Amino acid sequence: MPDAKEQITTTILAVIFVLLFFGVLFIFMLSYIHYRRRQNAREKKAMQDQFDQQLMQTRLEIQEQTFRYLSEEIHDHVGQLLSLAKIQLSSVRDTEPVDHGLIKDVYSNVTRALQDLRSLAKGLHAGHIRHFSIREAVDEEVQRVRKAGGLKVSVTSEGDEKKIKEEKQLILFRIIQECLQNCLKHASASNINIGFTWYAEQLRVRVRDDGQGFDTENAAALAGGLGLENIRNRARLTGGSSSIHSRPGEGTTVTVQIPYE
Amino acid sequence: MTLLYFQYFQLLSLLLAIVCGKGLSRFSIGILIPILLVDNISDILGANYTRLFHSPDNYFIFNLYYLLSTPLYLYLLTIMLKPDARERRRILYVALAIEAFLIANYFFVQGRMPFNSFTALLVNLTNFVFSCLVLARLALRKEEDSHLLIDPYFWINAMILLFSLVSMIALGLQKYIALNHIQVDGKSLYFALMQAANAALYTGYCGAILLCQMQRSK
Repeated sequence: MPDAKEQITTTILAVIFVLLFFGVLFIFMLSYIHYRRRQNAREKKAMQDQFDQQLMQTRLEIQEQTFRYLSEEIHDHVGQLLSLAKIQLSSVRDTEPVDHGLIKDVYSNVTRALQDLRSLAKGLHAGHIRHFSIREAVDEEVQRVRKAGGLKVSVTSEGDEKKIKEEKQLILFRIIQECLQNCLKHASASNINIGFTWYAEQLRVRVRDDGQGFDTENAAALAGGLGLENIRNRARLTGGSSSIHSRPGEGTTVTVQIPYE
Repeated sequence: MTLLYFQYFQLLSLLLAIVCGKGLSRFSIGILIPILLVDNISDILGANYTRLFHSPDNYFIFNLYYLLSTPLYLYLLTIMLKPDARERRRILYVALAIEAFLIANYFFVQGRMPFNSFTALLVNLTNFVFSCLVLARLALRKEEDSHLLIDPYFWINAMILLFSLVSMIALGLQKYIALNHIQVDGKSLYFALMQAANAALYTGYCGAILLCQMQRSK
């Protein structure tokens, strides 16, 4: 009889321990869920911080690029025209009769300088990217590259253009700008094509040049990696992806895919 | 005066709750002080009732205890659940229904003198469900800087959940244990279980109260 009681006691205790085990398991499970959620939230926040930081850097880089272009443009075009006008005017003497042809030339040079200044002021407004679509902003950038001379740049587009989030547009623009800079500085290319393909959920941009190309594996090891790591990071932060294909002598293709939202 | 071992934990938790009252208020659980006061008084009376009043059992005390403590516990759990206005209204209806059942059981169904087992079962089941809900809500909340293990609500609810679980099983087997004289170390298995569960519950409360105070100091 005592054995039977002992058995019942053991069974009851076992049942209680099993149920307690489930209770404790439930609590642990909730703790684990909470821990995972916190970790996810932290990762998301870190990603957002990184994105914000990158966005700020992108803005600064675009601004810097704009100032550089502004300085070159003033020096090379407006400055030249005004200098010419000054030289022309300095040749006019009080004693000599008025040379109407010269005055006309001066007038036309000053007018061109003014036009250049107006187009500079319009095109290089600090927030111009925000007001334009990515396509318009790239077209304008392409105009600048063309002006610099020596390169044939074409822009193509497939599909219906869609709206991209402003921050993403800014980052994408900077990626394209970086690709163009790479082409100008390192590629020795004569043709560049920028191709936009508008898919339902994302935009694909492909920047292709026919320059000297490079070994992608070695390039990564170079200081700065030709800004390739920057391109990859930026594309990743927008929730998109990027790929860079290049071989010595075969040109370079940079493909970036960015979701609209 | 007899004091069972778990009552030392109980007294300690009351003492801590009084000392750390501001910490509890910061977490809006100052109601824990009257709860612990009722718990302590009823358990001290319960432990000494038969000797003092020459009564065959102390069920009368615990029947009364359930009537008094249930609204307080429901209020505490509701605060920790942080319900919105609609949920709050629903909880209020549920609480009123439960309290009405407890009163009806006390006066008309099981009566004042025999142990109100239905009441005990319902109260423990309610506490179990509510503590599960609070824990689930704590785990799924979106606050990024929240850490479950240093949250006083977590410890209070985890302990209420485990206590209710053990209580429900022990209550279910109470008559069987008594009839068969099932004992552990010379004590009824039911009392052994309940005392251990109580000790764990009040230890959890002590920890939670200290956490409230520590986080208030920060």
